[in-house]
Amino acid sequence: MEKVGSVLVIGGGIAGIQASMDLGDSGYKVYLVESTMSIGGVMSQLDKTFPTNDCAICILAPKLVAAGRHENINLLINTTLEKISGKAGNFKVDLKQKSLYLDQETCTGCGVCAQECPVEAIDFFNEGLSKRAAISVKFPQAVPLVFSINQEVCIGCGFCKGVCKAKAIDYTLKDKKTSLNVGAVVLAPGFDEYDPEPTHHYGFGKFPNVVTSIQFERILSASGPHSGLILRPSDGIIPKKIAFLQCVGSRDKKHGAEYCSSVCCMYTAKEAVIAKEHMPLVQPTIFSMDIRACGKDFDKYIDRAQNEYGVRYIRSRISSVKEISESNDLILNYETENGEIVEEVFNLVILAVGAMPNRSTKELAKTLGVELNEEFFCKTKPFSPVETSKEGIYVCGMFSEPKDIPETVVEASAAAGAVNILLSEARNTLIEEKKLPKEIDIIGEPPRIGVFVCHCGINIAGVVDVADVVDYANKLPDVAYAEKNLYTCSADTQTNIKEKIKEYNLNRVIVASCTPRTHEPLFQATIREAGLNKYLFDLANIRDQCSWVHMHEPKEATEKAKDLVRMAIAKARNLIPLQEQHVSVIHKGLVIGGGVAGMTAALNLANQGFEVYLVEKGDKLGGFSKNVYQTIEKYDVQGLITDLIKKVDDHKLINVFLNAKINSIGGYVCNFTTRLTQGKNKEFKEFQHGIIIVATGAHEYQPKEGEFLYGNDDRVILQSELENLLFTNSEKINGAETIVMIQCVGSRNEEHPYCSRMCCSEAIKNAIKAKEVNPNLNIVIFYRDIRTYGFKEKFYNLAREKGIVFIRFDQENPPDIVKKGSRLSVNVVTPKLGKISIDTDFIALSAGIVSNGEENEELAKMLKVPVNSEKFFLEAHVKLRPSDFATDGIFLCGTARGSATISESIAQALSASSRATTILSKDILVTEGIISKVNPALCIGCNRCAEVCNYGAVGVRYEEGKMISEVNPLLCKGCGDCAAECPAEAITMSHFGTSQIEPMIAEAAHVEFGNGRPRIVAFLCNWCSYAGADLAGVSRYQYPPNVRTIRVMCSGGLPKRLILQAFLEGADGVFVGGCHIGDCHYIAGNQDTLRRTRDIESKLESIGINPERFLRKWVSASEGKLFSETMIEFVDKVKKLGPIESEYKNKSIKVSK
Amino acid sequence: MIITQQKDIEEIYDMIKSYSKILIVGCDGCCQPPRSINEAKVLAQMLELKARSEGKELKWKAITVLRQCDDRIAATTVRPFIEHYDAIVSLSCGLGVVMMNKVFENILTYPAQNSLFGGAENNAENYFAEYCETCGECLLGVTGGVCPMAGCAKNLSNGPCGGTVGGKCEVGGYTHDCAWVKIWDRLRKFNRLDLFNKYRPPRNYRKWSSPRFAEINKTYTNEEETMEEEK
Repeated sequence: MEKVGSVLVIGGGIAGIQASMDLGDSGYKVYLVESTMSIGGVMSQLDKTFPTNDCAICILAPKLVAAGRHENINLLINTTLEKISGKAGNFKVDLKQKSLYLDQETCTGCGVCAQECPVEAIDFFNEGLSKRAAISVKFPQAVPLVFSINQEVCIGCGFCKGVCKAKAIDYTLKDKKTSLNVGAVVLAPGFDEYDPEPTHHYGFGKFPNVVTSIQFERILSASGPHSGLILRPSDGIIPKKIAFLQCVGSRDKKHGAEYCSSVCCMYTAKEAVIAKEHMPLVQPTIFSMDIRACGKDFDKYIDRAQNEYGVRYIRSRISSVKEISESNDLILNYETENGEIVEEVFNLVILAVGAMPNRSTKELAKTLGVELNEEFFCKTKPFSPVETSKEGIYVCGMFSEPKDIPETVVEASAAAGAVNILLSEARNTLIEEKKLPKEIDIIGEPPRIGVFVCHCGINIAGVVDVADVVDYANKLPDVAYAEKNLYTCSADTQTNIKEKIKEYNLNRVIVASCTPRTHEPLFQATIREAGLNKYLFDLANIRDQCSWVHMHEPKEATEKAKDLVRMAIAKARNLIPLQEQHVSVIHKGLVIGGGVAGMTAALNLANQGFEVYLVEKGDKLGGFSKNVYQTIEKYDVQGLITDLIKKVDDHKLINVFLNAKINSIGGYVCNFTTRLTQGKNKEFKEFQHGIIIVATGAHEYQPKEGEFLYGNDDRVILQSELENLLFTNSEKINGAETIVMIQCVGSRNEEHPYCSRMCCSEAIKNAIKAKEVNPNLNIVIFYRDIRTYGFKEKFYNLAREKGIVFIRFDQENPPDIVKKGSRLSVNVVTPKLGKISIDTDFIALSAGIVSNGEENEELAKMLKVPVNSEKFFLEAHVKLRPSDFATDGIFLCGTARGSATISESIAQALSASSRATTILSKDILVTEGIISKVNPALCIGCNRCAEVCNYGAVGVRYEEGKMISEVNPLLCKGCGDCAAECPAEAITMSHFGTSQIEPMIAEAAHVEFGNGRPRIVAFLCNWCSYAGADLAGVSRYQYPPNVRTIRVMCSGGLPKRLILQAFLEGADGVFVGGCHIGDCHYIAGNQDTLRRTRDIESKLESIGINPERFLRKWVSASEGKLFSETMIEFVDKVKKLGPIESEYKNKSIKVSK
Repeated sequence: MIITQQKDIEEIYDMIKSYSKILIVGCDGCCQPPRSINEAKVLAQMLELKARSEGKELKWKAITVLRQCDDRIAATTVRPFIEHYDAIVSLSCGLGVVMMNKVFENILTYPAQNSLFGGAENNAENYFAEYCETCGECLLGVTGGVCPMAGCAKNLSNGPCGGTVGGKCEVGGYTHDCAWVKIWDRLRKFNRLDLFNKYRPPRNYRKWSSPRFAEINKTYTNEEETMEEEK
């Protein structure tokens, strides 16, 4: 049966999106099926993400938009799977889309219907904490932005149909059934939170001030029900004392489930920290059994929560919650570790609810014929973590086991990696390339600008006098044509725009409508179809940042709309066509490291037909796993390694280099060159490849001489040595009476301040095995926290059932080992039992995982990628890009990134190879059009550009004997930071450069308001502040119409002189908005913003300008309210200061025209 | 490189406040941090704003020069502009300011910067440091690459003196490193203490006293002369 080059992805959460993006980028047609109205999943509900406190929607929204506009991805919302037949490579699937009662293609997402809807239904996105209309969109940044009617609450009044100018609403629309042929299915249905309501667990549902963690997440969110204020539900008062109860519905066979939900410890710490940040007066207390902070930098986060934010941790599991009926406060009784019983009153109790299998999964599994495990999660095997029981159906994310976002993203890419092997022969068969007309050459022509002003139903026209704006635009110089449209984004207007371009010979197009963040690609595609370069387009945002935020000032709003159009025209005059560069890809990969991760990655690429160079520093493949015999689930690791080595050796596309040392790696994505020496004879090799996967691994911590008597006494051994004994020489254990295990050796201390993630499971695995070998053996495990996350919790329970004793110790009082005659004696002071002493035959030290230190640093320098303070490699983004480096074309997996189990390493390896396939599968890589350019004639070779570039995309190339900076168009992301930094103005940023922005400033500042209303020029970064300003619009947060916004890609791309220019042109106040520090879309561009704006701030006073006229503020994409408040405050302040002329001694100086 | 620091805007403005048209000249040369066209424009904008606040109007043009300390380059690049302006503000080191005044005798060039020292760039630690004082008799060959003229407070040729305690110098209250201890360490590392033990005669301080001149290599333009030289 012929294989089909398309994939069905079920579930539009972060996992589904990532899998779809990877598959779409690798040449498959993707159908992304989502049962709700928008993709985004649970992550879109989160306020911040741990451990970086990144704003969730800020990092997710660009992904949603990218998935929504991806040409190979078909979004099917409100859709479920009905039936599946066929087999791997060629399935037939039947889908059912429930009626939205409106036409998805016609709906423009303008939202007038929702405002008119008289129904107030429960808002499930805000977890029932607020109300929403019967016709609604899931959340403001939803993709696709389509409204739908909730039939259950709709009263059928017909208001929405009446107000819909686009005529999208049709109450008679029926459910739609489609059937498709797909080659593979990826399951990412996600999870449901444990619902404590049915059993009124901890009084939830009875006591109003007991809320779940996801509800609290919405309370914390700036776009949530209270705009980020922490108010408790019963009376809307700020709760001072907040209790967080851990393990609600997890690690609890009675309520919920036996397993650990893996994420609650961390999200609780995050919620406590963010609560404290939002309102310093709250006092968070966390009640937990173990603190499971077993990820990269998680322990540091917990430490900061405790020491910096004063979050109180109490080791106790609360049994019940009582309410004081008058005040609705809550009473908790708990036992401290030294046995004291305490009663404490809290104002708010938050239940850290665990992850349960999605309600739909049982049925889904039945439809698909996929096996579930006893917890009703999808059944997978440790060595094939993304494969279900049915061939051709893959799984990722929470559906297979509870896990956090990075693991989910890893698995999503890994599932795509598995699909790659199955379907690689059918790749690119279903992808159609759009035929576009030849571009019209406009160089040298005077600008002929077309302006299309949108009514957006009544969204714009209800406030702004659109006809007046069109008349005004028609009178402006260089405008060849202007018209108004009911909906500029509708399909017929697109045809109209194309016709008008031909008729009036337009060479620049401006649309005055909504936000470029969602609609720019649509119009760009339109003008491209008419033969214009897509960069000859600009959008004036007269809805989100004008009519929606100045609803009660129609006159001023019209004025502002005219100004915004004039600014866009000023920019359009200087727009030039930009060409994307095409670079051919070398279809070969380099994998560094021959462990399980490296071999898995190499095999994945080779099985798709790409040649692979596998480089191993040692003389054998296998890596650290050679010391491991079994996984905790009793899967044979040695067998896996032998199998992998055989497959690698037999594969004719894999070139293995043993005893290899890399001398240099040059080049960039698509075309790297590596030189190395290999083999015993130090043979020299040189080869070219398109991508690099770093899988260099890590190793076991070697205790220092005498640490726990290790090295001084033969009976003190490492956990790996014990494993060796148990599996190869178990008679040695038979004679023993007692074995003591000590956890966290070389982990979670000052030298290695992180958790090694697998030692707890390793110890439990060995303890269970030892009990099997010798059932009379006494085993005592001294631990600090048992971190058996996910389904590993079962083995912890099993170990305790088998009589293995677990005793906790504090970091300050580690076990002390003394020789006592022929035996060893362990003395510990434990928090619970006081001083105890145990005699033992063996002591097994659970040594942590440490990085390869200097070796990693050396390789990092060669690759120009970062390592963290523990010398593990640092990925591009800890949440959403766990397998990528910031530098394109270089990927990472396995323990090189941080401690990981074998199963996780395999998933990461598949993930890294899937990410690599997105490049290798293409013949030609198309670069970004908006990038920086160096004028070699002006470059002075100072290399300041390289210092500010976070992607290694620009810099002086000394090695070639010239001292001139160069931009690598493949690596440049177009933030413009280098252009802002360049002392010689040799670097220009295209599309958002000084030649485009400067005329906008002039137009923005030359506004005559009268009545002492100040003129404010606001520079906003595209990803956070501009998005925040848009959200203010969507949420209708009003602010004064004095602000003229100028969009830049990154606030770091804003040179000092443009800020001064604004003052010179007559602005009364200048605002610079960027992402929060640490949240920058371009890694750290806003650090440079900070440096430059601080410099200006420090000098404003001395040049006679009140420093209060300048404001820099970080506004995230979810802080619409903050944006509007900031604007209100700033305008007010500048108004009090008076016009800028009042600071000039000679009042005759006129600055405005 | 010549390490410079921009003067306060007030000070620069004070110098030029009597003029209404100024030419602001950046320098692409070795001045650190680089003060090229970007900095020149920022300074110009600031001065214009300052002038406005003082009730004046200031016209300006910002340009940049490859090296202001080279008379030919300075002359050819700047000459086309000067006739329209009342004064020049230079963003180079002192050398550039002096040279501009020398080349353009009929117009005053004002410094916008304080020149601090000839410094080396330590990018990793983020600082410039003065490692060479251009003394005219280089000792670095016998001191393991550590300069006692720049590093020793007493400029000793034969150190260390009795004022070093634990590798720190008594001048400045034992906060600075003793250069001679460093020299000893460095030479010992390479097993060249023989250099350290060798007596170094007194220096010729005349080579280190201002003003100093040096001849530019003569280029022979006359063909006969060239032939003669070759012989």
